[in-house]
Amino acid sequence: MSVPYDDVERFVRDEVAALTSKPGDEVTPETVLIGSGRVVDSADLVMLLLSSEEFARERLGAAFDWTSDSAMSQARSVFRSVGSLARHLTALQTT
Amino acid sequence: MDTVIVTGASRGLGRYCADQLHNGGYRVIGLGRTTPSDAAFETRVTDVTDAASIADSISDVRRDAGVYALINAAGIASMNLVVTTPAATVRRIIETNLLGTIYCCQQVAPALIKRGGGRIINFSTLGVRLAIKGEAVYIASKAGVEGFSRAFAREMAPHGVTVNTIAPGPIETALIAKVPKKNVEEVVSRQIIPRQGQPEDVWNILSLLLSPAGAMISGEVIHVGGA
Repeated sequence: MSVPYDDVERFVRDEVAALTSKPGDEVTPETVLIGSGRVVDSADLVMLLLSSEEFARERLGAAFDWTSDSAMSQARSVFRSVGSLARHLTALQTT
Repeated sequence: MDTVIVTGASRGLGRYCADQLHNGGYRVIGLGRTTPSDAAFETRVTDVTDAASIADSISDVRRDAGVYALINAAGIASMNLVVTTPAATVRRIIETNLLGTIYCCQQVAPALIKRGGGRIINFSTLGVRLAIKGEAVYIASKAGVEGFSRAFAREMAPHGVTVNTIAPGPIETALIAKVPKKNVEEVVSRQIIPRQGQPEDVWNILSLLLSPAGAMISGEVIHVGGA
């Protein structure tokens, strides 16, 4: 059975909150991860990707490739926000 | 037991370093196009020009916090004038020396980040400094390695990982046995220390970088013999 989007989003929000020491309710799907207005630095982003990879493998049964072409563009990147990352992770279950 | 991944471990300096690391108590995973039958360390056939091949080859350890270091010693050379070097050879040299180094760093760095520290040691050549005639393509690939390593060192510093480059001159290994003695002597004469380096000279620098004493050395290119 696949993990619903809300659970994946909660995982990403909790991870970002822990990395940034922000209260959980301050991290939303719109919270920016790369580019202008980002809340995590590059080192934290790498830690987020590592934990996301582990989450994808263990909870979603899927492989999360950080180096996909979509990661290159700030406009299209799956890393641009909490919501986009959560949507990407959720979608891995069906690919 | 800490794990060290060594590319180009089937011969030359990569093999020498892999043997030394194994004898020093590390778990060594040697990657190479061929696997030497006489190696005392673990070996895996890997094409460093193919990121997927690297990922497959080290799939069991690429997120393993037991990995302490990556040594990118895989490399090829082709001594030739630029105008007579086939395009396929140019591509092969750049793919193996530069892209191979970058791909391996991409694949192994997450394990070091997960560990919270580690070492990456890449290989260049004294030729970058000396601008040796007949080695322009090889030197271009290694200059790329030096630039990549310096910038990558900044990226890895917040994670406690150092990234350095060792740039040897013509080290006495089987790989340069076919190079005319006159050519070797000419390069050696341009070194600050005009003596042909031995594999142990490279190993001494590498072991310093691997040791706790190397914790504040990063983004450096260390020229063996000086240039």
